[in-house]
Amino acid sequence: MEGQLSSLVITKEDIETIDELFSQYLVDSQAKDIILLNKSGELLAKSGAVTRESAVAVSALAAGVFSATNELAKLLGEYEFTLTFHQGKETNIHISLVDPLILLAVIFDNKAPIGAIRFWAKKISGSIKPVFEKMAAGPRQEPSQDLKKGLQDEIDNLF
Amino acid sequence: MSLIDFSKSEITFKVVYYGPAMSGKTTNLSWIFRTIPEKVKGQFTSIATETERTLFFDFLPVELGTIKGFKIRLSLYTVPGQELYKLTRKSVLKSVDGIVFVADSNRDRREDNIKNLADMFKNLEDYELPDTPIIYQLNKRDTPAIMPVSELVDDLQLKGKAVYLGMASSGVSVMECLKGITREVVSKI
Repeated sequence: MEGQLSSLVITKEDIETIDELFSQYLVDSQAKDIILLNKSGELLAKSGAVTRESAVAVSALAAGVFSATNELAKLLGEYEFTLTFHQGKETNIHISLVDPLILLAVIFDNKAPIGAIRFWAKKISGSIKPVFEKMAAGPRQEPSQDLKKGLQDEIDNLF
Repeated sequence: MSLIDFSKSEITFKVVYYGPAMSGKTTNLSWIFRTIPEKVKGQFTSIATETERTLFFDFLPVELGTIKGFKIRLSLYTVPGQELYKLTRKSVLKSVDGIVFVADSNRDRREDNIKNLADMFKNLEDYELPDTPIIYQLNKRDTPAIMPVSELVDDLQLKGKAVYLGMASSGVSVMECLKGITREVVSKI
């Protein structure tokens, strides 16, 4: 059984912290792109040349791959696999678990050795983790009553 | 699990089209993709086999518009309906906010509808998501040998639930279902 929250709330401060970390790691690690997503496949943050449209699709696929891999883990008697890695001719992608809800996808070109990819993915993940621990421990920013009411009253107008 | 991003003023919901093989889930998404304006839709990602059956999932991000300064986004997914892909279906359902169950109205698909619906409820139970909003599209009403609506409602125990009669290949009830499930998922915020 896997309990889930009804929503994940990200604040402006959280994203600023993550963006700052990602910008630094993009330079240090020489990764092409760093993408942060949740387990339902939503893009949370990205850094690098990847467009938002591509990052949205990468997030959906990466979460799908990760989730499918975990069904495989269960069949093999494991609770879950914490990372998956795909190697191509030109590009590699490393997807790993940051916390129970969050995944990190780091994309490298073929110049980076596997050891370096694993090292940087682990380092970035370790730096991001406290942001989500703080988020889980602290009070949640809730949507205002005005927004909730607006959603109820105006959603039909969007169609 | 909806995502409320205060930094970008965005709320994103995950909606999954569930149902037996060939019931019209991908057809629903394709119709939405063809119908909505270019600027509000993202890349349509489909992972299909050589015979064009869905292997993993289809994915279509859609931006509906803005309410009280917040952009409302939907991530639309389908699952593979074939029996073989049971675990893939479960994995796509992870963290879902709302479901459109697409049933096939043809009589010879009766068992598949019942089995697939039970499989969906079992997966929701495993993920501890028993209150997930679900709406039902009884699709392919334009094909021969369909079951009467009352019989399908009895079979799938849909009395009192949100039921739409669909012909997804010609767009009938596709947008209505999308609107219906969106209304349901936003009410959960």
